[in-house]
Amino acid sequence: MRPSRAEYPYRWRLMDRLEAAADRLFPRRWSRWTGWLMLAPALLLVAVLLIGLVQIADASLHTLDRKTFRTSAAYSLDNYRAALDQGVYLAVLWRSVLGAAIVTLLTLLLAFPYGYVMVRTRSSNLRKLLLIALFLPFFIGQVVRAYGWLIILGNGGLVNDLLGLVGVPPQRLLFNYPAVLFGLVQYMLPFAVLMLAPALTAIPEETEAAAGSLGANWLRTLWHVVLPMARPGLVGAGLVVVSLTLTDFAMPAILGGGGQDFIANAIYDQFFRTSDQGLGAALTLLLVGIGSLVVGAVFTAFGAGTLAMGRART
Amino acid sequence: MNQSRAQRWVLGFFVLLALVMLSAPTVVVMGASVSAGRMIAFPPEGFSLQWYGKILAASDLRQAFGRTLVVALICTAVALPVGTLAGIALAKFRLRFAGAVQVYLLLPFTVPLIGSGIGMMLAFGKMGILGQLWPVGIACAVINLPFMIWAVTASAAALDPDLELAAANCGAGRVQTFLSVTLPAVTPGIITGSLLMFILAMNEFLVSLLLVDARIVTLPVQIYNSIRSIITPDLAAISVVFIVMAALAIALLDWLVGLDIFLKSK
Repeated sequence: MRPSRAEYPYRWRLMDRLEAAADRLFPRRWSRWTGWLMLAPALLLVAVLLIGLVQIADASLHTLDRKTFRTSAAYSLDNYRAALDQGVYLAVLWRSVLGAAIVTLLTLLLAFPYGYVMVRTRSSNLRKLLLIALFLPFFIGQVVRAYGWLIILGNGGLVNDLLGLVGVPPQRLLFNYPAVLFGLVQYMLPFAVLMLAPALTAIPEETEAAAGSLGANWLRTLWHVVLPMARPGLVGAGLVVVSLTLTDFAMPAILGGGGQDFIANAIYDQFFRTSDQGLGAALTLLLVGIGSLVVGAVFTAFGAGTLAMGRART
Repeated sequence: MNQSRAQRWVLGFFVLLALVMLSAPTVVVMGASVSAGRMIAFPPEGFSLQWYGKILAASDLRQAFGRTLVVALICTAVALPVGTLAGIALAKFRLRFAGAVQVYLLLPFTVPLIGSGIGMMLAFGKMGILGQLWPVGIACAVINLPFMIWAVTASAAALDPDLELAAANCGAGRVQTFLSVTLPAVTPGIITGSLLMFILAMNEFLVSLLLVDARIVTLPVQIYNSIRSIITPDLAAISVVFIVMAALAIALLDWLVGLDIFLKSK
């Protein structure tokens, strides 16, 4: 008993058509593949990245002939040998790794109290203020923020003006290692807090109260209850900060003034200043390798933390 | 929350320190942009909008801004459907090799930006599409895709699978169930993710730097190039454009889904 056309709204008819089309294009007996069908576009999009990595690998195996400025047709590992032999790259690598370690520690030290207060405060106004103060720099981008620091820390900048008021001669605050690290901590802070916050929310306040009522003071509660329970967040935040710092380009380039290169800057110079694509590609692949090793090690040791997507989280 | 006085002081100190660090560049850039002087200075020397007039008159800046918008729109348009479907699939289905898929989809995050950027530069160069704007948008979508997927999975995980079964039980087909149960449930995630994609693409610097040439520079690259030569207050005025866009995005996010969404435990 099919209803007449007037009783059967247009919307329903459209939906029937769509269902019929779906049944024809993707029969129900294939439904165990629906998940993969939905994943396919993402898998394809990320494949662009893989193609890129293959291109890098290919380029890294051809050396540059310094006389003709043509790349060799033959495959060789000379670029890797050159990259590992030259002390200058080891110095750059050391500077980046040390920087990543310091920045991660400082960022987590600042991010943890920030996230904790943001999650725990009873005042919704304070929470909103903290959230906005967090998102504003997050949404502004590295270049503009670095530009702000140039104004603040420059020779005639705000900090030197203030120092001048108390009789301190102008200091050179820019274009050195601490300036780069400082800029990086500020850049990483929003990432770290955003990775930490969900883990902190998941800690029931009652657990802390219980620790308190059993006689633990707040430091002991922090050490024995809050920090261990916040581990997924700390892992997620730490991972993001380490990997982004290790490979950052803009902060060392702008606040380091050319003398404080990180690995990414060295790679960029190989491609665009020295035009030695092969060596640059070899350095890039080494960096990708180091990064993957670090991330892989943390994943195996601690799980994906708050980085996990969807069901497969640990 | 019963806090001891010491705890209050320690927490307050760190939060204040972080607040100053986070806000200082923004405040200073905004101040410097309205300076009446010819040099960059904070506190500003007097008040004037001369630098805003200057950037409005500069056609290269306007074009760079337009190109940046195009890149951000392409990035969002690509990542929105792709990330939404992937996020729902990851949250809903028990897939075989889900662990491997996860590692693969996190690649844009684990491969350093300089690596992704140079890889795509070489790949796009081989395909002969370097020097156009749309590959930059695609590249931004690739490197930021995990953000979109995270946002969607966070919403999708909260969706009770029984609701979809109930819809099917009431006679809804697969398309209708998807459109009227699954999709509305993940809408907050989609909105959050799209806004993130748009803003991140607007600000994307390194990958843009690698993929653009002198004819199609985007605004962050343009600012970077100018910083390296000489710092003038008109840069501060352009930077305020970014600050305003960021503020708009935050207001939109707060209005549509509430900023608190980021505090939810997964």
